[in-house]
Amino acid sequence: MKRFFFLALIWCIMPRPVNAQDEDSLRIGVKGFVDTYHALRVEDPHDWMSSRTRVRGELTIEKGCAGAFVSANLVQNAILKDRTGLQMREAYGYYSNGHWDLRAGRQIIVWGVADGLRITDLVSPMDYTEFLAQDYDDIRIPVGGLRLRYTQPKWCAEAIAIPVSSFFELPTDVTNPWSIGPIPIGAEPEHKLNNMEYGGRLSWFLNGVDFSLSALRTWNKMPVLCNGIGVYDRMTMLGADFSVPLGKMVLRGEAAEYLGEVQPTMNSLELPHASSTNLLIGLDWYGGNEWTLSAQYSYKYVAWGDNRSSSLATFRISKNLLHNALALQDFAYIDVTNGGIYNRLSADYALNDQLHALVGYDYFHGDEGSFAIYRHNSEVWVKLKYSF
Amino acid sequence: MLLLIAGLIAAGSINAQQLTGREIVQQVKNRPDGNTRYAEMELTLKKKNGSSRQRKITSWAMDEGKDTKKIMFFTYPGDVKGTGFLTYDYDQIGKEDAKWLYLPAMKKTRRISGSSSKTDYFMGTDFTYDDMGSRHVDEDKHKLLREEMRDGHKCWVVESVPVDKHEIYSRKVSWIRQDCLTAVYVEYYDKLNKLHRVLTISDVRKVQGFWTAHRMEMKNVQTEHSTIIVVKNPKYDIKVDQNLFTVSKLEKGL
Repeated sequence: MKRFFFLALIWCIMPRPVNAQDEDSLRIGVKGFVDTYHALRVEDPHDWMSSRTRVRGELTIEKGCAGAFVSANLVQNAILKDRTGLQMREAYGYYSNGHWDLRAGRQIIVWGVADGLRITDLVSPMDYTEFLAQDYDDIRIPVGGLRLRYTQPKWCAEAIAIPVSSFFELPTDVTNPWSIGPIPIGAEPEHKLNNMEYGGRLSWFLNGVDFSLSALRTWNKMPVLCNGIGVYDRMTMLGADFSVPLGKMVLRGEAAEYLGEVQPTMNSLELPHASSTNLLIGLDWYGGNEWTLSAQYSYKYVAWGDNRSSSLATFRISKNLLHNALALQDFAYIDVTNGGIYNRLSADYALNDQLHALVGYDYFHGDEGSFAIYRHNSEVWVKLKYSF
Repeated sequence: MLLLIAGLIAAGSINAQQLTGREIVQQVKNRPDGNTRYAEMELTLKKKNGSSRQRKITSWAMDEGKDTKKIMFFTYPGDVKGTGFLTYDYDQIGKEDAKWLYLPAMKKTRRISGSSSKTDYFMGTDFTYDDMGSRHVDEDKHKLLREEMRDGHKCWVVESVPVDKHEIYSRKVSWIRQDCLTAVYVEYYDKLNKLHRVLTISDVRKVQGFWTAHRMEMKNVQTEHSTIIVVKNPKYDIKVDQNLFTVSKLEKGL
């Protein structure tokens, strides 16, 4: 099977023109990239935090209204040996006409308007094997299911059914530089009909505002520690989001109530459940001269336990230079509750149409909270990326 | 979309002596260009030292009254392939355009500001978003300077001064061919009234009865960076579903 996928991937990455003659002919689209990424810890012992090279191939085959999409990585990882090999990303078939769009298979589903934070965006979980050092589309884990969309010019209805759920991948192997420790994680829910996720989203795209309503019967996909073991349980999300352009700015917001969310405990025989309120407000500023600023603040309130409130903020500033050949960016996650920070400063230079060279510095700080465990993980990194 | 700037149309010869600068620019804007349009564009960005980069775009546009809906996708190079823009251009002065950007790496569409980018350069080229779109006639004060021959064609020479002092140019002077109502040469002056950019439009010929500019070169004479846009396979009055101009289509891609 692996050999088949390997051959398919090689076939995928062979450059060839995209065919786009008429709608009834067979159209084949190929894209992808080869990249190599290496990160070095700035503190003693100055060891390698990441060292990997990969080929990404994406293949689209379409005839008439129907088609298929496959995306896979071929990875050589010098630090995390078990990550070396072929990794299937998305693989789905679709049917799409003017109004209807149906996708079936392994796919990434993204909801909401937040940037790097998850309020209503609960469908596709995250891969934290290398924390946030991977590309964002690599961090998102596909789910196996159906997505049906009905589109009108000013609104869109989406329904999903996910019989094959995916869950967060956490680095519990202590040899991984990004390990969170040897935390035992309980079994993931079985893939059976009763455990299926399902939900929908209704979106409007109007002159001065975009807004959506969403509902999802799902799982807490990040395991919650109950009596020392990470567990998963059912919950329901009811949410809404909006984007409002205001001159040079865009105001964004999300709100979601997680009904019956399982809560951490150390001394309870039964899993405690409580509702939580999750809010996010964000502002993007398109300042002109290729400057962009973005700030977000999210707040979570749990109606249970001692630590009921927590908040997280993000800040992004970016500037394009040299006719977009050079992109500078700084992006920070700020743990407002515990005073932690993760800041990524990066520069991306286009050597030519296909080849980009990137360098960056990741800074971690925190005595408590989610970034404290990585306070000695600040790193410098380089990356070369060839796109085809 | 660029078809919109350079424009087209055979409206026949017009008596210049009866027209003011504003009327000439209005005639250029009003020339028929079909209710729907399709084009593939190759954008070549050239540095002073001769090195170049390329972008390729496929776009559709549809008129709804005086407003225009546009959708376009980058098809080259690979790192931006699949990136899409959806724009609703409103004709009414002061009404913000609606814009969405789809980034395939994020698998997410973002509502972006409809007003700020007009004076920014489009994807690193020497064309601003305003150059690429349809600027409202009354966003500038127009004055007919003279008539003269240019490359064998009789032209009106019209000076346009922006009403909004925040525009990136202090004035522009356009040579507009009288036979096809197409600007074929435009000089843009900066805030110090120094020549900043020069637009040269060539290879203007009819497609399906519509005058179409097939080559546009914008040169920044101060930095000597230039951008050449070659329009390929233009089509007019094609059958287009309204649902082409939606966020769902933006996310599905070509």
